[in-house]
Amino acid sequence: MKKGRIIVGALVALMVMVGTVLASSSETSGTVVWWGWTPGSPMNEQYIAQFNKVYPNIKVIWKQIAIADYDAAIRPALASGQGVDAFQVSAGSGNGGIHVYAGQAIDLTNAVKKALGDNYKDKLGKAAITTMTVNGQLKALGVGSVYAGNLWINQDLFNKYNVKVPTNLNEWITACKVFKEHGIIGFVQGAGQGPFDMDTFHAIADNVSPGTFTKATRGEVKWTNDSIVKALELWKGLFSNGIMQSGALGLQQYPEANNLFMSQKAAMVMMGSWYTSNCLPDTMKAAIGSASSTKQPFTMVPIDFPDIAGTGKTGSMFGDLDYATAVSASSKNIMAATTFAVWLGTSQQGQQMIANSLNVIPSLKSATQDWSKIKLVNPKKQNDAIKNYTKKAMNSGDNPRFADINADMNQAMIDVLAGVAAGTITPKDGAAQLEAAQGSRK
Amino acid sequence: MFEIKSLKSKVVLQIILLILTIPYVIPLVQMFLGSIGGTGFLNYKAVWDTGVVPIYFKNSFIISASVILLVYIFSMTAGFAFAKLHIFGKEMFFWVFLVALTLPEVILLSPLFVTFQKMQLFNTFLAVILPIAALQLPFTILLARTFDNGIPNELMEAAKIDGASVFRTFWDIILPLTKPIASSIVVLTLIGSWNEYLLPLVFLQSPNMKTVTLLPQYFQGEFSNDQTKILAAAVLTAIPVIVVYLFLQKNFEKGMSAGALK
Amino acid sequence: MKNKTKNKTSRFTKINGLLWILPAFVFVVGIIYYSIFYTFNLSTLNWNGLDPIPIKVGISNYTKALFSDWIFWKAIKNTIVYFLITFLIQNFLGFIFAAILHTKVKLATLHKVLIFIPTILAPATMAPVFRLLFSPQGMLQNIFNTLHLGITVDWLANPNSALFILMIVAIWEFTGMSFILYYAAMSQIDKEMLEAAHLDGAGNFRTLLSIVLPNCKGTTVSLAMLGIIGALKTFDIPYLITTGGPYHATEFLGTYIYTQGIKQAHLGYAAAISVMLLILAICGAILINRVNKGDAK
Repeated sequence: MKKGRIIVGALVALMVMVGTVLASSSETSGTVVWWGWTPGSPMNEQYIAQFNKVYPNIKVIWKQIAIADYDAAIRPALASGQGVDAFQVSAGSGNGGIHVYAGQAIDLTNAVKKALGDNYKDKLGKAAITTMTVNGQLKALGVGSVYAGNLWINQDLFNKYNVKVPTNLNEWITACKVFKEHGIIGFVQGAGQGPFDMDTFHAIADNVSPGTFTKATRGEVKWTNDSIVKALELWKGLFSNGIMQSGALGLQQYPEANNLFMSQKAAMVMMGSWYTSNCLPDTMKAAIGSASSTKQPFTMVPIDFPDIAGTGKTGSMFGDLDYATAVSASSKNIMAATTFAVWLGTSQQGQQMIANSLNVIPSLKSATQDWSKIKLVNPKKQNDAIKNYTKKAMNSGDNPRFADINADMNQAMIDVLAGVAAGTITPKDGAAQLEAAQGSRK
Repeated sequence: MFEIKSLKSKVVLQIILLILTIPYVIPLVQMFLGSIGGTGFLNYKAVWDTGVVPIYFKNSFIISASVILLVYIFSMTAGFAFAKLHIFGKEMFFWVFLVALTLPEVILLSPLFVTFQKMQLFNTFLAVILPIAALQLPFTILLARTFDNGIPNELMEAAKIDGASVFRTFWDIILPLTKPIASSIVVLTLIGSWNEYLLPLVFLQSPNMKTVTLLPQYFQGEFSNDQTKILAAAVLTAIPVIVVYLFLQKNFEKGMSAGALK
Repeated sequence: MKNKTKNKTSRFTKINGLLWILPAFVFVVGIIYYSIFYTFNLSTLNWNGLDPIPIKVGISNYTKALFSDWIFWKAIKNTIVYFLITFLIQNFLGFIFAAILHTKVKLATLHKVLIFIPTILAPATMAPVFRLLFSPQGMLQNIFNTLHLGITVDWLANPNSALFILMIVAIWEFTGMSFILYYAAMSQIDKEMLEAAHLDGAGNFRTLLSIVLPNCKGTTVSLAMLGIIGALKTFDIPYLITTGGPYHATEFLGTYIYTQGIKQAHLGYAAAISVMLLILAICGAILINRVNKGDAK
């Protein structure tokens, strides 16, 4: 016990701890703690390194939080006014929704005007402005957008087993059946992870009747209308007609579904434009390693969502800002943080870097992927497909992915999709629940 | 305790034990196999290369050591008083502690957040140490009281006659005698504090103040989730607690048997 | 729990011990009771945690949960099922392990350590392991495939089986605790009593049932109390493995409080559920204590 008492004394000394030391800051110097969930280390550090080439005296510290924990961590941090200078927000409500945190963010309109001129609205993507404007103030600067609505397929597997790329329900069912005979999962979805279910459902709804989903989220048509009920029925069908792998509801899109696709155990997956970066050999190698696989990179290409409703209306895509940078109103480094947010979201150099990562599609219109510099896994088969895909995504029009869905609606939709898929509720009741959630929106 | 005589039943019993134990080992095997998936042991290198492993371990160590210290002191003194001294309304006080046992830590988040902010404790280790210790105390006081009940009063009487003060009695007689239960308290508190996830996540904001349980966050992005490295991080995180347990295992067991809830 | 000191004659019992419990008392009251009162106050508000002025709503958060929220009731039902099943199985296993390890088996320490290690590891650390284990890429599926059993590991997907998977995880995690407490209780059983039973010709099984089990009753009661409280507090395992799904099949009060309070920023509603959770936990603890005392008479 004597030894213990000595240790006790030493430990008392250790217990006195102090918080962060805040340094003084200006537009070109200071320390910026940057909170976010995407794209993740080491990418964010690379962005910071690029930023420091222009602003060597602003030290940016990246604080990464898993997306599922983001709200739990950022809310108290913002309310306390400590330790956050710049932070990522998203359109809509999923995680870090701008509407939740707008009150804690400064208006960046003047900063953007200074950087891009009064006609800044012409230079940036429309979504970058509209989704981040709350009560007339521009609360965050969009870094890049993501789009969904398509499937990604493993072209090598399709070639190997001589499977036709599906364009309608029957072909899709057949493709899954053929793959299954070869011990491969045809289509994989981590249906246990709600937001990705919403993508699939949105794609189905747009296939049934383009635009109705978006109108319903805006309260312009009722969720109980026939085309939504029909879409829910088709969604339910995926779980019984052999398209969804068994156990889909128990899997998450990340890690499980992604890992199955990356380890070539599944041939098709519902992923959006963010998946494009996996066409880069290094990114794909890392993803394959994360999936516990040692195989070589393969050729993956995007295809239109199959016409399962039989309407002939395919190829719809929907998307919005994946993330934007907001500046905390209670930050002691507002100026330096603003410099960083503006650089990342509006500078040619910052946005070019974002473009080339193929992770998101940049907000600044003049920053487009430099295809001569981008080397894909299989240039012959992928280059044109990816170029067209990116163009199509950008021209998808007014069809947001999450921007019009608030937190309660988000939860209701996740619940309804899981309930309908599991057979716990009928498509009709599900539609009624969605309408009820829409009705209680403030 | 039970005598098994025939060789046959001995063998049967040994096999039953083995079969029953296997399911407890499977997840551990899965954890290790998962951590060397893909790029093999390079996953561990990748975890190390984040550059934060030593910092996080140091932070977790500081937090756990402080919590253990607080819990040890407070449960020893309180356990002693509850078992051996006169307290007006003793059982009522004891119930106050027991009720605290029922509190889930999720409830602590909002109130403590507001308070710590006012007290300038937000984003300091104390913001994590204090609540973890408060959550551990009810159970450890219960253990300490039950253990101290078993210490014969005669031992203390002897000291009293020698003119020792209550404090000296506590220091010279009770503390040395309570070593086994102290081991149990240390192990249980270590488990509780080292494994704490929610409180550090919410109350520690600076990147250099995070704890080992937040290590996997490095490998979870919006559109990525590197399971192999998450599991490698999990293995690294688990090792220190297992080592401490192995060291204290004998005493821990003794403490639990003497202080076992009855 | 018997807490009364047997030998009351000691002069020490006259010394006022208030000062000795004061630090711990202040600490626990200052943090835990403060939080309880704060939560109680919060439960009468409609607040997102960021707005400067919360709206007072009286008891409507409570009535909403009790009368019009099926998820709240689903969580209660899950908690009851979860408690009953994990309590029975994990204590049965703990008891058996304790009895076996009290015989002279080989490698006893190794087994003890292996059974207790799960208790040491954080649910947060183990959650990804279990996700992997119960996924088509996990070890179980590989074993089934090798044996050509034709079983697909998809139990987390099924609303009916997902809860059982979580129970398996909980049992895995906490058998160590049951074991160690039973093991401790058994080592305190009077040796003579056991010998007498042996002399009477009672077999090992008879002895186990008629002497050892009744003598461990105190431990069983304690474990039941810890079990009820633990079941009500359940958070990490369902949150990190199934996030309460599919379709709330594995929702618990803890996970529901977290999604309501943190994810959806309904702080008042989450607080109301927290208060009800607390009341349930206290009632449960008192109930078991009563049943125990009633039995003793």
